[in-house]
Amino acid sequence: MAGASMKDIKLRIRSVESTMQITKAMQLVASSKLRGARARMEASRPYMKVARHAIWDIALHNTGAESHYVTRREVKHRCYIVIAGDRGLAGSYNANMFKRIEWDSRDANWVVIPIGRKARDYYARQGVPIITEIEKVEGLTLEKCGEIAQQVLDAYDEGVYEEIVLAYTSFVSVLTQRTKLKPLLPLDAHDAPERTNRQMLCEPGADALLKGFLPQYLAGLIYAAACDAFASEQAARRVAMDSATKNAGEMIEDLSLRYNRARQSSITQELTEIVAGAEH
Amino acid sequence: MALIHLTIVTPQGEFYDDDAQRVVVRTTGGDVAILPHHIDYSASLGQGEARVTDAAGNVRKAHVEGGILHVAADKAQIITQSFEWAEG
Repeated sequence: MAGASMKDIKLRIRSVESTMQITKAMQLVASSKLRGARARMEASRPYMKVARHAIWDIALHNTGAESHYVTRREVKHRCYIVIAGDRGLAGSYNANMFKRIEWDSRDANWVVIPIGRKARDYYARQGVPIITEIEKVEGLTLEKCGEIAQQVLDAYDEGVYEEIVLAYTSFVSVLTQRTKLKPLLPLDAHDAPERTNRQMLCEPGADALLKGFLPQYLAGLIYAAACDAFASEQAARRVAMDSATKNAGEMIEDLSLRYNRARQSSITQELTEIVAGAEH
Repeated sequence: MALIHLTIVTPQGEFYDDDAQRVVVRTTGGDVAILPHHIDYSASLGQGEARVTDAAGNVRKAHVEGGILHVAADKAQIITQSFEWAEG
């Protein structure tokens, strides 16, 4: 009896040990990917800031207030560009994103452009219309972002959607990541500079300038968001795998204790039997 | 000497963020030189050479591809998809 349970415990210890090896390896991979991802993310941040400011400056001072790029209309159809993970095992990284969108999308019909395998699989399962998809967040190129940007811009110009929203997880620190919904079109009035009366010269004309630059601008934003999201994913995975490794260590400690106890009790029992046999 | 603040950004990173004497870029309408105290101005950029004269008077050449040039309140910004300095 004692022997069988000893064997069981030994097997459990071995299986926990191999799980621990995997979580430890995943943690190390995530840490090393995080380093590169953070550098790319930090490099893309100035573009976001400068480009947003410039595009607002041009849009506000040169187009009429009725331009559909700056004016909000009632939203009946919304398109989400959702950047989620390529893989699971990253804590609640993917689930948080999906929950946030589910909550946000109640008021309108919506479609989705998933970026990342987890997002694609999730929305395919949920039966949400998928316009186009990108399977990998890792190594997403600016050209690929440009294709998506052009596609949503064309649809927006035709009036298929009244709003385009970019959904991604923003990296705050290794321990904190925040889901963000950033309206791409119409241009986010949240950080708009004040409308003034100063004159600005535009070549070739403000409308043509905007039309030429918007696809590049949107591509840049999607690219920057993907860099941000990828860093968040790696950070989330690193933390999740770190705690999984710790848990496995604790389990092994606990099981070893039980194993030693079982061993001791079987020895004690054998001794008792021998002593009892010798007395007779 | 009057200087203009110049920022050059791409989604892959920032390439210049300092004062400059002069910057020449190729817009879709032709080469344009921006000097300090320029009026507010925006232009779409084509593919071509950019020349930046920094505060010390050194001229640096670069290749620019697409994007816009934006000048507002004596600050010039080159916001482009691809930027590369010519020298090593």
